[in-house]
Amino acid sequence: MPAIRNQLKELRAARNMTQQELADRIGLTRQTVIAIEQDKYSPSLETAFKVALVLGVPLEHCFQYDPKGRR
Amino acid sequence: MVAGLSYREKSLYASLVAELVVYGPYFFFHQQNSVNKVAGMIVGIIALQAVLQLIIALWTRSRVTDERDRLIELRGYRAGYLTIAALMVVGLGMLWFHATFGHLHIESRMVGLHFLSVFFGMLVIADIVKTAAQIVAYRRSL
Repeated sequence: MPAIRNQLKELRAARNMTQQELADRIGLTRQTVIAIEQDKYSPSLETAFKVALVLGVPLEHCFQYDPKGRR
Repeated sequence: MVAGLSYREKSLYASLVAELVVYGPYFFFHQQNSVNKVAGMIVGIIALQAVLQLIIALWTRSRVTDERDRLIELRGYRAGYLTIAALMVVGLGMLWFHATFGHLHIESRMVGLHFLSVFFGMLVIADIVKTAAQIVAYRRSL
């Protein structure tokens, strides 16, 4: 399991938002949103806050840290 | 598949193709070193890159780059630097070996050209490693 996990896919789907729409609002590429959703990339703190802001949830609802997870 | 790639990824694939097309024949098929050939390759890679990057820029609607692109770019430069540092150590070691044991039989007028070719080769290999490392980073987890 990755050290930083996220619920991006579920939260985005609940808001009927496409990956491209989310990417455009945060200033990322769609490929980076895909990489985050697949736990292949851990975003910077700034981007994580932007994601939470756009989705309208607290940061910890979007991203969770697992100390036993792989880096 | 190409449609699923970001602007930076497409650009990297184009760079790798340009590097292999221009540099490949020089290192695998050339017979005689010459300053003109090296100069020709530099002009060739600039021209080919300009054309390919222009096509990709026109073809790609979103040319956004983000933090992941910048991180991958840095990783590529690190791979390129480590490659050129390693090649430099190997090259200097071989130079020392040949100078010490007298196995380097090059005409004095060709020494400069020989070194130009060797150092240019190091730059080319490091550049290809840099581009390839970035392409691999896009396919793997960061």
